[in-house]
Amino acid sequence: MEAVVCIKPVPEADSRLRVAPSGATYDPEGLRYTLNSTYDEAAVEEALRLREAGAIEKVHVVSLGPARAEEGVRYALAMGADDGLLLETGPGDAFDPGATANLLAGAIQTGPHDLVLVGRRAGDDETGMVGSALGEHLGIPSFAFVTGISVEGPSGSLRLRRFTEAGEEVLSVSLPVVVSLLKGAQDPRTPTLPNILKARRKPLVHQPLSEVLARLPAPPVRSLPVRFDLPAPRTGARLVEYQNPSEAAEKLVRLLREEAKVL
Amino acid sequence: MPISFDLTPEQRELQGLASKFAREEMTPRAAECDRTGRFPEEVYRRAWELGLMNLNVPAEYGGSGLPLLDQCLITEELASACGGMTTSILANCLALQPINLGGSPEQRERFLKPFCSEYRLASFALTEPGGGSDAGALKTRAIREGDSYLLTGQKCFITNAPQASLYTVFATVDPEKKHAGITAFVVPRETPGVSLGREEDKLGQRASSTATVTLERARVPLQNRLGGEGEGFKLAMATLDSTRTPIGALAVGIARAALEHASRYALQRSSFGVPIAQHQAIATKLGTMVQELEASRLLTWLSAWMVDQGKRATLESSVAKCYASDSAMHICDEAIQIFGGYGYMRDYPVEKLLRDAKLCQIYEGANEIQRLVIAREYLRRFS
Repeated sequence: MEAVVCIKPVPEADSRLRVAPSGATYDPEGLRYTLNSTYDEAAVEEALRLREAGAIEKVHVVSLGPARAEEGVRYALAMGADDGLLLETGPGDAFDPGATANLLAGAIQTGPHDLVLVGRRAGDDETGMVGSALGEHLGIPSFAFVTGISVEGPSGSLRLRRFTEAGEEVLSVSLPVVVSLLKGAQDPRTPTLPNILKARRKPLVHQPLSEVLARLPAPPVRSLPVRFDLPAPRTGARLVEYQNPSEAAEKLVRLLREEAKVL
Repeated sequence: MPISFDLTPEQRELQGLASKFAREEMTPRAAECDRTGRFPEEVYRRAWELGLMNLNVPAEYGGSGLPLLDQCLITEELASACGGMTTSILANCLALQPINLGGSPEQRERFLKPFCSEYRLASFALTEPGGGSDAGALKTRAIREGDSYLLTGQKCFITNAPQASLYTVFATVDPEKKHAGITAFVVPRETPGVSLGREEDKLGQRASSTATVTLERARVPLQNRLGGEGEGFKLAMATLDSTRTPIGALAVGIARAALEHASRYALQRSSFGVPIAQHQAIATKLGTMVQELEASRLLTWLSAWMVDQGKRATLESSVAKCYASDSAMHICDEAIQIFGGYGYMRDYPVEKLLRDAKLCQIYEGANEIQRLVIAREYLRRFS
């Protein structure tokens, strides 16, 4: 049994975004990319634990992105994944979640993929759709909002813990399957220095996107970004001057009622 | 080989690991350990687990055997969070380097491997109460008795001494011979006759521990002598030649933190209706600080690159250490000035940086000695 973890490189959380000259997206120039930390690290960690528990033999990592996305794949290799594949996009290439899933599925289909793992959503565009779309394109079931995977029950199946607002649910699912992970109790490992050095010698293939596109029966349907606006800058806090607490309360209530209109 | 200042993806990853460790493990504890002088063993254990200790131990003994430039990249990141913790993390590199350089294969196997298979600390013990810079005049005696030596003397200002399991000690077999009598020994902590003085209460780098090690007829087997009798002075100097550059990187890390704090503050603090960064008096200070920081970093990279190329780097490593530590003092001083009264308060982070930076001018060869070395090395070109 082998697992494939799909990861996405996203700008570091403290990046200062600028609108790209096209006006349609953010400008990737000068940004530092990292593994989609909140969820993808959890997905890699979950796969590594299943491998350590003997449930799977290999953990493959796949990513779709520009050449610099290699750093995110290397990070997953340094965490312990066995090999990596980067579907390398060119300048100006932009894919929506459906097209991304279509392209990833095109690559995943060529190898063993008993368990396909994705993070719940990306830290930049936050769509959270690639997992379900991957299930569709691979023709296998997909499960979202999963917090943990364990090896129980009959062979060829896994136990999933799903978090819902109503409570936690445990499912037995048969393979192959796509699982979209929430950050659960994984506490993803930090790659150690020796493992970073070892990861350099692990196989990482750059595959030009044209090769993947050629294998698809039809070009992926996609939406195109039209405009991207940054959030309006926040205005500073307003200080209310007062002589005594009752005056302060009076002034605050009036502001909340008349200006903020929340009362 | 063409010159390039581009870091490799691997170097950026190592830098990223160190930066993450610094941010998550060191920064949250830096102020507390500075105030109380606590030795944050949990931080050092975690550093060991991640492979951030023993960077210079070759891979065949379980270390990572990183090039010096990579070691400097890591050191700068760590030091930007806490200079004292960085000193304690680096102390193993300094203590184990004489074994790396002067030990037999059997000694390297016996002494280096345990440090890579479990968390342990070691200390480099050269300085004595009566002399630091004049290392040739050390007084600790080593008297041969059969198949062992009896070591008697005092070693002071020894980093990590209270927690170390092993000391590399420099002693003389014959004080008359001066430099030519100095011999290096590996002394396990549990050796009868080895005792510790109280922990020093320091101005800065308070998360690191420092104590005096006293040797009273401590019996050390012949198998623990590194190299031959009289080869210790050269070994100590060769060790310091290769560990001096990271002290430059450590100073760069402290200075970078000071400059970043000062820059953020100068943009946020207003006077006369504008952020103080817009006043020329503050902007020119920042301009000078940036120059000093950039120059310091480039000098440490140059020195590290030369060592990695196998070139003699006595001059360059002294320049890097001396210039970077003097600059760090100036940058931290100016950072406090930019913060004004707040900078003088313990509630703000910059005064700690100044106290931490001060040690960089003193340890691993005081800057006065560095200047002598630099002049001597330079003048050789004319004779």
